[in-house]
Amino acid sequence: MLLTADLVPVVLATGASARVAAHVAPRFRVGDQVIVKNLQPTTHTRLPGYIRGKKGIVEKDYGVFAFPDTHAHHLGEKPQHCYSVRFTARELWGEQASDRDSLRVDVFDDYMDLR
Amino acid sequence: MNGIHDLGGRHGLGPINPEANEPVFHEPWEGRAFGLFASTFVFAGYTVDEFRHAIENMAPADYLEHSYYEHWMSAFEALLTKRGIVTREELDAKVAQLSREAN
Repeated sequence: MLLTADLVPVVLATGASARVAAHVAPRFRVGDQVIVKNLQPTTHTRLPGYIRGKKGIVEKDYGVFAFPDTHAHHLGEKPQHCYSVRFTARELWGEQASDRDSLRVDVFDDYMDLR
Repeated sequence: MNGIHDLGGRHGLGPINPEANEPVFHEPWEGRAFGLFASTFVFAGYTVDEFRHAIENMAPADYLEHSYYEHWMSAFEALLTKRGIVTREELDAKVAQLSREAN
């Protein structure tokens, strides 16, 4: 399929969004305390290394998206929820970090467990 | 993958200095590189995730030494040659031709 001129405004307006219309139950709710799994795939992942094993709190549910880890390798969309998860700076960077700072990371269902 | 792209939390890379009034594109070719994504991902059948993975697969030293849209160009080369839409020979020949024309 070629990108024709009439399609350009649509593509530019929506980007290459990975949002999926599928109805999938969320594994977590806002306010849940979670711990990120120690996943170390040699393939694609959107899990930043510095949050592995760290504890955070779910602050927002963005909805359902194609799962990058499978989608990147043509292994299916595996649609699932993605959340904004808050980590304190001290949880991520240790005692020298400010106790007032925190960081929010977008985290998929498959990357974490309840704690 | 635990690649060089995963820079969060690393020391020694220097401060982040946001550019005042940063333009969307610093060079005209960057705009064309942006357009290449929209015009190739559908017919070449790759996802944004496969595109990102192609960037992660750059040689680590190359990744650090090249700019944002140079990363994009590297991904286009990898994805389009992988599918045989462009051959490595065609790509090298075009680069050589453009290089001659520029001199």
